[in-house]
Amino acid sequence: MELEALQQIHSEVRILGAGIVVITPERERYTRALHKKLNLSFDILTDLHLKIAEQFRLVFTLPDYLRDLYKSFGSTLDRFNDEPEYRLPMPARYVIDKDGIIRVADVNADYTIRPEPSETLKQLQALSEAAAD
Amino acid sequence: MASLQQRLNDFKQAFESGAPPYNAPHEAIETMHRATAELKATGIEDRALKVGDRAPSFTSFSQDHVQINSTDLLRQGPLVVSFFRGHW
Repeated sequence: MELEALQQIHSEVRILGAGIVVITPERERYTRALHKKLNLSFDILTDLHLKIAEQFRLVFTLPDYLRDLYKSFGSTLDRFNDEPEYRLPMPARYVIDKDGIIRVADVNADYTIRPEPSETLKQLQALSEAAAD
Repeated sequence: MASLQQRLNDFKQAFESGAPPYNAPHEAIETMHRATAELKATGIEDRALKVGDRAPSFTSFSQDHVQINSTDLLRQGPLVVSFFRGHW
């Protein structure tokens, strides 16, 4: 749902001179399928073994009891992510300015909560206005 | 269209109702709530990179196996970086 919502703001993001990139531990065969299915105009990068998420300090290990539950649903992260330790990134959305400084950070351990893309757009507008001053 | 959070809430409500098409057992939902609460309690959110921190530069492969570098992207302008746990 979040990727579709980001897709809806992408053209406006581009008008502001900004970009969107999605980072996921999923392997390329799955990102390729997802990208095609959702008809996205931004890239999804494969963060193999969570090297990027580690640098943003977002990585956690699923507890055994949850791993077993997901397995019972048929979700096997070792296959999708080549991640036998069942580690995942917390969902997070960052806005980084062109100097590489984080200007907005939305990080939530509860994966059912996400910031609105319309808010992200407003934050980019504010950044672009500040840059024009 | 409804807000993203509204749609997420609607999905959560449908999933947690235990009704079709998900038919999620009550114990499974309890387990998921417990895991989220435990993760929050570790303080992991506070340890993640924050506003004002320098973002690490990164390089990885796109869905089309094109190598993408964050430094190149930032040269074009600000960047929204979204961490996504997966489609599963």
